[in-house]
Amino acid sequence: MREREAEVFDLGYQRYTGPREGRTRARLALFDNGVRTVLGIGRGGRAKILPVGLFLAVITPAVVFVTILAFLDPIAGDDASQFIPGPADYYSVVSVILIIFGAIMAPELLCPDRRDNVLPLYLVRPLTSNDYLIARFLAFFAIVLVLVYAGQIVLQAGLILTASDQVDYIRDNWQDVPRILFMGVLIATFISVGPLAVAAFTTRRAYAAAFIIAAWLLLNSISDGLTFQECISEEFMQDGGTVSSTTECTRPVGDLAPYIGLLNLGGVTDNLNNMVFDVDLEPGEGSPSSMAVAELHDAFPIGVYVLWTGIPALLLWHRYRRIRL
Amino acid sequence: MKLFLGLIQPTSGSAMLLGEEPYRSTEGRARIGYMPENDCLPKSMTASEFLMHMAQVSGIPPGQARTRAADVLRHVGLDEERYRPIGEYSTGMKQRVKLAQAIVHDPVLVLLDEPTAGLDPDGRQEMLRLIHRTANTFGISVMLSTHLMGDVERTADSVIVLESGVLAQEGAVAKLTEETETLLIEVADRHEEFVTALAARGVQTSDDGQLLIIEQAREADYDLIRDAAVESGARIRRLSPERRTLTDIFRSRPA
Repeated sequence: MREREAEVFDLGYQRYTGPREGRTRARLALFDNGVRTVLGIGRGGRAKILPVGLFLAVITPAVVFVTILAFLDPIAGDDASQFIPGPADYYSVVSVILIIFGAIMAPELLCPDRRDNVLPLYLVRPLTSNDYLIARFLAFFAIVLVLVYAGQIVLQAGLILTASDQVDYIRDNWQDVPRILFMGVLIATFISVGPLAVAAFTTRRAYAAAFIIAAWLLLNSISDGLTFQECISEEFMQDGGTVSSTTECTRPVGDLAPYIGLLNLGGVTDNLNNMVFDVDLEPGEGSPSSMAVAELHDAFPIGVYVLWTGIPALLLWHRYRRIRL
Repeated sequence: MKLFLGLIQPTSGSAMLLGEEPYRSTEGRARIGYMPENDCLPKSMTASEFLMHMAQVSGIPPGQARTRAADVLRHVGLDEERYRPIGEYSTGMKQRVKLAQAIVHDPVLVLLDEPTAGLDPDGRQEMLRLIHRTANTFGISVMLSTHLMGDVERTADSVIVLESGVLAQEGAVAKLTEETETLLIEVADRHEEFVTALAARGVQTSDDGQLLIIEQAREADYDLIRDAAVESGARIRRLSPERRTLTDIFRSRPA
């Protein structure tokens, strides 16, 4: 006869006597859950398509630039880096993808909790509505930060590896590192706060995403349309027989153009980026609104950035303070 | 209930739960569990994942949260289905997940809001059994809010009746529903003869169409009823003291 090897005992309900880590653990759990929700971790393959797709879309330009650099390097040597966008231009290149990422993925963090009515279950635990919001914001902020840094890391790696003297390159361009880090934080904050604030006012993710993308397109079209500069050149003969020319440039809104340019949502971080990386825009290098804003004092783009992040943050806080449970 | 859970603040006065004001103290809330009446479950998560998450949100570290989630799901009878998305669950199963998330962190007190709402008779029976186990086997105090007095009678030790936010009645359920001095008798036949025989022995009855009622019955009346039944030849179907239900008490409260 075969001997009995194991036996299952029903010990009944066991009281929990382990550690209780209170509010800190609660915040960490919400942060962790937020990251998993956005990235689709622990869910089916379909939930991962969007985050992975958008992540690849942000990285792809860096990979393409580095590939071009690798091909040009044997021909152009150290001048090869002049033919591709550098660290100063990279954030502007991917800003469209980042805004789309924010518009689609940020509502994922807030809308389902309110639609499924999960919020009361959180707030009867050792959490406040502020804890909830901060944890959700930080989860999204962290993901966007990784996203914006990832492309720059690939690009920097490519630039360093293709330089004829790596040490010289690093010595000459070390200032790019703090600029990249600082600008990354500014972009991640901007991309996180606005979409989260919009998501706080609807339980439908699609509505939030559509609103953000529509607002972005509308404001960009209006500001670029009204700040577009039209230049007319006139040539005339001078007394000495030499040909001289004058160029007169006009904009539809005249002197208001720089202020209208501040409305451009995509330009909010582009303008700061130009300041941080000390970029002087040459005619035709930037969008019409960026060119117009460049005429203003630096305080204006900074002020607009503070407004575009501060007001949504206040709205978000106010919305969850007053939310009916 | 929302006041005691810290979800809203009092417009005047204060509400204390376990010696603390829940809308001021967040740490105290770790000792409370709450099962809302409405749907409150994320449809895309599995019950196991959701319970682990809620245990952590209550302050329990991840390793222990996993064990607690598995244990509690087994106790509420969802062991087999714990890896299915909650959106695929029946109403009864969802109610059990709601109860499980309320006790996953082993609270001192759990507040249940209409826990049998929307359940069929079998589901209701099962939920009441679970509530009874939560209080008596798990050792967690239960505060139940319901409009179904039958649920209260079957599960609760004490009852508080609120009407428009004002205390209308309170006390131990056993005390409120204890036997009264009124005796109820149901006879199968010879109804008239039986009433006459009782009257001849000095026992006054009233008739509600189905039952004979003897108010302020004494111990000796049982012998007189036996004698009257023998004399009249009536067959007695039921002889019992009247027991008031909570519904009777609720209906008889002063307007």
